[in-house]
Amino acid sequence: MTGTPTGTPTGTPTGTPTDTLHELAAKQAALGEVRGAPGPDPVNAPMIRHWLTAMGDANPLYLEQGLAPPAMAQVWTMDAPRDRSPVDDVLAALDAAGYTGVVATDCRQTYHRYARLGERLTPATRFTDLAGPKRTALGVGFFATWNVTWYDADDRPVTEMLFRVLKFRPPEVAQPYPLQPVVNQDTAFFWEGAKRGELRIQRCGDCGALRHPPGPMCPACRSTARTHAVATGRGTLYSYVVHHHPPVPGRETPFVVGVVELPEGVRIVGNVVDCPVEEVEVGMPLRVTFRPMDDRLVLPLWTPEEA
Amino acid sequence: MTSETLPELAIDLTPTLIISTALATRDFTPVHHDTALARAQGSKDVFLNILTTMGLVQRFVTDWAGPRAVVERIDVRLGVPAYAGDRLTFGGTVTSREGGRVTVRVRGRVSLGDHATGTVTLKEDGRC
Amino acid sequence: MLSGRAAVAGIGATEFSKESGRSELRLAAEAVLAALDDAGLSPADVDGMVTYSQDANQEIAVARETGVGDLTFFSRVEYGGGAACGTVAHAAMAVATGLARTVVCYRAFNERSGRRFGQPNAGLSGEPTSQGLEMSWHVPYGLITPAAWVAMFARRYLHVYGATSEDFGRVAVTMRRHAATNPAAWFHGRPITLEEHQASRWIAEPLHLLDCCQESDGAVALVVTSAERARDLRRPPALIRAAAQGSGAGQMMMTSYYRDDMTGLPEMSVVARQLWEMSGLSPSDVQAAILYDHFTPFVLTQLEELGFCGRGEAPGFVRDGGIALDGPLPVNPHGGQLGEAYIHGMNGIAEAVRQLRGDAANQLAGVTNVLVTAGTGVPTSGLILSSG
Repeated sequence: MTGTPTGTPTGTPTGTPTDTLHELAAKQAALGEVRGAPGPDPVNAPMIRHWLTAMGDANPLYLEQGLAPPAMAQVWTMDAPRDRSPVDDVLAALDAAGYTGVVATDCRQTYHRYARLGERLTPATRFTDLAGPKRTALGVGFFATWNVTWYDADDRPVTEMLFRVLKFRPPEVAQPYPLQPVVNQDTAFFWEGAKRGELRIQRCGDCGALRHPPGPMCPACRSTARTHAVATGRGTLYSYVVHHHPPVPGRETPFVVGVVELPEGVRIVGNVVDCPVEEVEVGMPLRVTFRPMDDRLVLPLWTPEEA
Repeated sequence: MTSETLPELAIDLTPTLIISTALATRDFTPVHHDTALARAQGSKDVFLNILTTMGLVQRFVTDWAGPRAVVERIDVRLGVPAYAGDRLTFGGTVTSREGGRVTVRVRGRVSLGDHATGTVTLKEDGRC
Repeated sequence: MLSGRAAVAGIGATEFSKESGRSELRLAAEAVLAALDDAGLSPADVDGMVTYSQDANQEIAVARETGVGDLTFFSRVEYGGGAACGTVAHAAMAVATGLARTVVCYRAFNERSGRRFGQPNAGLSGEPTSQGLEMSWHVPYGLITPAAWVAMFARRYLHVYGATSEDFGRVAVTMRRHAATNPAAWFHGRPITLEEHQASRWIAEPLHLLDCCQESDGAVALVVTSAERARDLRRPPALIRAAAQGSGAGQMMMTSYYRDDMTGLPEMSVVARQLWEMSGLSPSDVQAAILYDHFTPFVLTQLEELGFCGRGEAPGFVRDGGIALDGPLPVNPHGGQLGEAYIHGMNGIAEAVRQLRGDAANQLAGVTNVLVTAGTGVPTSGLILSSG
């Protein structure tokens, strides 16, 4: 399809369907726990002191007894070289499916014991769950959950963490169509008609002459008495252009704009849509169609008349 | 450790606090220290990282419980961002006390609403 | 009568470029000084100024910059490039009626490095003016660029007369051939072939890229004074034998699609009628024509409207070499706006003056009368300049 205005949100998400996302999630969960690299530094006093100072935590326990604050669990492996974890593929697939927004929702840490100075911790990650799509305040999204366990040198868990994020599709802000007409007392009837699916042609209230584009005074009899006729909606293509360049806001190129001659005896400009560009030709019969461009503008456009 | 309501802890979220805690938790993501970049990405300002939220929840509870307490578990539900320039105020109440194990319900609020809510479980006089 | 009362006594221009690196006001001031110098006049002699309504530089600003003092006449001519010859018409009227003695006409812009006319401007249909309302019947459909506005006429012309894109292409090829030997032209030394024209990308079918004039930075100024005084100045005068503006019934800006016929330019017919009547000349009396060539199709239409050939005959006329330097009607010996530069038609008037003086880059023999037109598709204007 060519020449279709892009002003109307399509609404249909592109990308990976929900089933595929869940299949991938199940596959990643089946991988079980995947070990990462051990922390680059052993648990050490300088980093603990730095952390306590920054947090404003005056608890003397840690440095006195050579222990790490429990909430530091993740800190020890923040700088570890990261292999691809089972989580990454799921998040990437969600991004690709349009769920590009991310916000962390839950962080649950269980401390089996406090880590001790000098020990080196090794994280292991397992992907646990993908739930969705769900409607949330931020938009439709999936909740992805994974668990990390930090092990000591004896392979005993020191800390376990459950982490959950919401990957959401940022709601499409309905963009106003950028090519708006200016409307005044002389032209409002036309645009209101388009919203009601009527192609309105100005008719002089005195001499009956039809006229498009409309205006305040009948050029034939100078009357300002105006009314309108509703056109049959049929027309013939009188001339046309195929716009390729430069890009036009609110439009995908190439698109066709034509001058359409109506049997009522006036011409009107509009897009020829739902017709391959190479099949557009002068003289082709057309029928009007009304397309909402945004929540305030409806344009009368033209499609090939069925043979 | 007798009271059932924890004394409030109010922390001014100065840029210094946001940035120094981000770095102390070895989180170098720019939104936690680069104001211009954070704003360019649609944030109001730099904001607290999650590792720090966990750290501050821990501090809030151990400030009250004292150095003999041992934290066993922190469950946090994360809410609105805690931006530089805001104030993070923690409140808490004891919800259960059983065999030396205390559970505290914690709520950390900023001007936009709840930043972190959850529970902390600790042993009153534990061995780490 | 206006005929023969005033003359172009001086012409001046900046270089033609894609990025002048200077403000539009500076370009205007430079061109005005160059034109005065060409005429052997000084800013103190100027008492009138005319430009296009689209020019960004007010007359008083150009006067301030160039040290021009009191102005007794100033005027701005409407309708885009259709104003080009109109500036000279207004100046000639002012001189002939005594409103001013020495009038400078100028057009200056950074049309390539600044605001580019060829780019879509959704604001065209945004103003509650008659023009905004007019544009509102076209812009919402994406019919928003000059190339597309012209292409709509061009398609109808092809359909009615059985012409082809190659007929447009021959205009472009001729203009580029002329520019190739004009050192002031942007496309100096860069002619094109018809094959290259056909291979250039679509802009708005049926117009290829090479059917569209360039985008240029630059300025051109002209000095208009009385014919008698001009004869005493430094350069041979180019007499304003005829000057006219024209708008047709049902006229719109670039989109007069609602008239009976879409293959002509009725407004140019209005201009032509006046030019021939005022000058007492006929098409066979002019040795060169400067035809506004922002887009190739309207060069064909103008040849027909001005009476150089019959309706639908322009493609054949051009195919037979009619507008070449050695043809019966050399058109745009400087290369036009397709080849030299797009200075909104003002550079074409300067070329007409050079042809009459005998010092053009592609000088034609025995030039005594040159016809010049302004922007097409809009209310327009025209001149016949003569030696004398």
